[in-house]
Amino acid sequence: MNEQQKTEFFETYNNGIHRFGRIMLTVAIIWMISVPFAMGVALGAMPSMPAFGKAIAQVALIYLPVAIVEFLIYAPMLGSGASYLTFLTGNVTNMKVPCAVNARDICKTEAGTPENEIVSTLSVAASALTTTIVIAAGVLMMVPLAPVLENPVLVPAFNNVVAALFGALGCKYYVKGLKIAILPFILMSLLCIFVPSVISNVGFLVIPSGLIAIGVSYLLFKKNRL
Amino acid sequence: MSVLQQLNSPAIYLICGSVIVFVVAMCIVFMLKSYRAGLALGMDKTKLKRAVTSSITFTLLPSISILLGVVALSGSLGVPLPWLRLSVVGALPYETNVADMASKSIGLSGLNASEMTPQAFTTIALVMTVGIIWGLFCCIFLLKRYMKKVNGAEKKATKTKGGRNFGDVLTLAMFIGLVSAYLGSYIGQFTADKNIVPIITALVAAAVMGVFYYFTEKRKIAWLDNFSIAVSMLAGMAAAVVVSLV
Repeated sequence: MNEQQKTEFFETYNNGIHRFGRIMLTVAIIWMISVPFAMGVALGAMPSMPAFGKAIAQVALIYLPVAIVEFLIYAPMLGSGASYLTFLTGNVTNMKVPCAVNARDICKTEAGTPENEIVSTLSVAASALTTTIVIAAGVLMMVPLAPVLENPVLVPAFNNVVAALFGALGCKYYVKGLKIAILPFILMSLLCIFVPSVISNVGFLVIPSGLIAIGVSYLLFKKNRL
Repeated sequence: MSVLQQLNSPAIYLICGSVIVFVVAMCIVFMLKSYRAGLALGMDKTKLKRAVTSSITFTLLPSISILLGVVALSGSLGVPLPWLRLSVVGALPYETNVADMASKSIGLSGLNASEMTPQAFTTIALVMTVGIIWGLFCCIFLLKRYMKKVNGAEKKATKTKGGRNFGDVLTLAMFIGLVSAYLGSYIGQFTADKNIVPIITALVAAAVMGVFYYFTEKRKIAWLDNFSIAVSMLAGMAAAVVVSLV
């Protein structure tokens, strides 16, 4: 294959990947959204739409901008095929992006080449399959453990999963951006101490807290203090 | 039959398993397509195989940490839903946070095993699914055009990752805002209700994360980072049990 034939072949391959990726992601979205309703049929309890609307408004406020930023930053690093797979299989920043970058380093492919695109796609596909197999094997082993996990002594552990998560994330993100964190942390703590009624609406507290953090970060970024 | 037993029923496994099988099939098709294209372009077979094997070894350890995430969520949401969510689109921090928001919107006090009902569960599942679907829409509607625009821009993107542009700072700030609201609420729960469990749980998880930070950043043992969130969470959850027993 000469260079021109290679370019034509890669363009045909790439168009095929986009067509296939779009169709598969559309099917995946429909399938995934139908899952909670199928569960509703199985359990005899459909999702509550008012509660869904209330929750999704809060979730979208945080995760819609995050998703767009992630897409804009990581898609060029991953390439087309790997992007379709990465955004479908998740764990983008903590696994798929470093995995693809690692594979490209090991295979010594050059940025912007067809080889790079192919190695990234192979890498993300292999990574996603490995995760699925490990989790499936783990889940099979967990079934006999179910009575242990349902033990009343362990109830406080599962009731405080979120506190454990935000403790861990707090350390991680505060270390990365201590200057940004001081003001929102102090203000939110004072608010919850002096107006305890807001504690039950912590989802809404995220909005002012996020806006304060963004404002502080913008000022620090502008002044080159980060 | 308890709610948790219903959430772990074969029907729920079957529903969640069907999506996972679909995603596995998609990965295999992409893998075969790219492997064949690589051969057609004259790439070395050894190089293609190295891309696969290096990715499998790279992924093994983080996959176990994701499995621990399934364990962490299984007590309140059963096994099949966390299995699905952490295999397709999701990530542990997102799923836990969104499940908690959804729980509160349906009237529970939080992601709480003892208050879970089948309707709360299906609502939580719907919020978890729809709340993270934006990346897929971006791919369907924007990826082809976007990739054309940034064609050959890999170098530029790598530079963006290494440096601190405002996109990175914005994402960091949003997460700091999120974390601050929750940590403030745990302090408020302590001062208002004398409920010490959430703040102790958070502090222990943060302390363990600090230990991970020391080893990954100062001692440069990078692979430990794969376990940092899951192990810190499990330590915090263990602290919750101990504090509740005292």
